[in-house]
Parts: sequence; structure tokens; C-alpha cells
Amino acid sequence: MTEFSSALSVAASGMRAQAQRLTHVSENIANADTPGYRRKITSFEAERALGAPQGAVSPGPVRLDQGVLPVIFDPSHPMADATGNYEGSNVDLVIELADAREAQRSYEANLRIFDQIRQMSSSLNELLRR
Amino acid sequence: MDIRQSLAAQAYQPLRQTAQPTESTDGGAFNQAVSSFAETVAQGEAQARAAMTTGADPHSLVTALAQTELAVETAVTIRDRVVEAYQEILRMPV
Repeated sequence: MTEFSSALSVAASGMRAQAQRLTHVSENIANADTPGYRRKITSFEAERALGAPQGAVSPGPVRLDQGVLPVIFDPSHPMADATGNYEGSNVDLVIELADAREAQRSYEANLRIFDQIRQMSSSLNELLRR
Repeated sequence: MDIRQSLAAQAYQPLRQTAQPTESTDGGAFNQAVSSFAETVAQGEAQARAAMTTGADPHSLVTALAQTELAVETAVTIRDRVVEAYQEILRMPV
């Protein structure tokens, strides 16, 4: 039964990591109009914590997109400099939406695996019951 | 006590020694399994309590509940089989 329980933990770690990714996507979308905001990128890495099951995934440290910030011309903006320009955020809504959809699909895949493990274990018990 | 009773008691004496309960010879493997089962169930309960009261991670709750369900199902199945085997022995014609 240890295989089943560690597989359950690994699937749950995948779901947790995708939820974290979705959090960053929603932060990016919320700050799409914040001047000077750099979009957050979620990186995934293998779980190395003590006691965690082998092969689990964990959301790594947050990285900021170092791409150039777009310069927006708006002299009435409070953060505009002498030339009337200010730096916007480098969030692209299309990319964020695609990222959110990808997170959803990965989450669903992990959920399916979770359900599959439960079905497998209950059918094993069914066999034992006969 | 007539002769038949004492003969029966005499014949029963070696059987009593054979059927005497002894210390577990499996190195406590069964005890270990039972205590790890109890531990799994306790963990599930602790996670459920944490999720209800402090709003802990729902993923941990789902994992703990699924593992508890797995453990309980296995334990119930094994208990059923053991009880069934015991009843089968009791039905033996003596």
C-alpha cells in the first residue's frame, strides 16, 4: 500500500504546485496596469524536502520577467517623467491566459491520476474481498 | 467423577497445552501494521480538524483523507477475511 500512498502524495504535490502557479498568474493579471510591475514566472523543481515522497514536485522560487518594460506616453500620469513618459508593466494578458489554461490542464491531469490511484486501490481491495 | 470423565480430562490435557496462547512469534509485524494504521487515521483526523478550524491546505486534506480511506478499507477487508476464516473453523464437524 506504500506505493499507492506515495503516488497519492506525488499527485497532490503536482496539484499544489499548479495552484501556486495559478496564484502567480492571477497576481500578474491583477497588476497588468501597475506601472513598473514585472510579471512573475513560476518555476518548478523536484521536491528535495526531508520526508517528502520521492519524485514530488514543488514550486521553486519566484522569478521576475526581466524583459523590457513598455514606455507609455501619458503626461497627465502622476509617475510621468519630464518627457511625459512612464514605464508600464510587462504583463501580456494573452500569455497570462494561456498560462492559466495550461495550469488548469495540468491540474486536471493530476486530479485524474489521483482518482485513478483511488480506483486502483479500491479494485485491489475488491479482489481481496471475494 | 466417573471413569469416562477422568479419561476425557486426561485426553484434554495435552490439547490444552497445544492451544495455550503464546507470545506473538511474527516479531510484532501485526502490531506494527495496526499501529501504522492508527497513525494514518489519526493524521487524517488532524488534517481534517486543521482544515476546518485554521483553513489549512485543502490538498493536504484530500491526500490525508484518501490515505485514510485506503487504510480503513484495507483494514476492514482483512478483518472480514479473518472473521470469515474463524467462522469456517467453528463450523468444522468435531
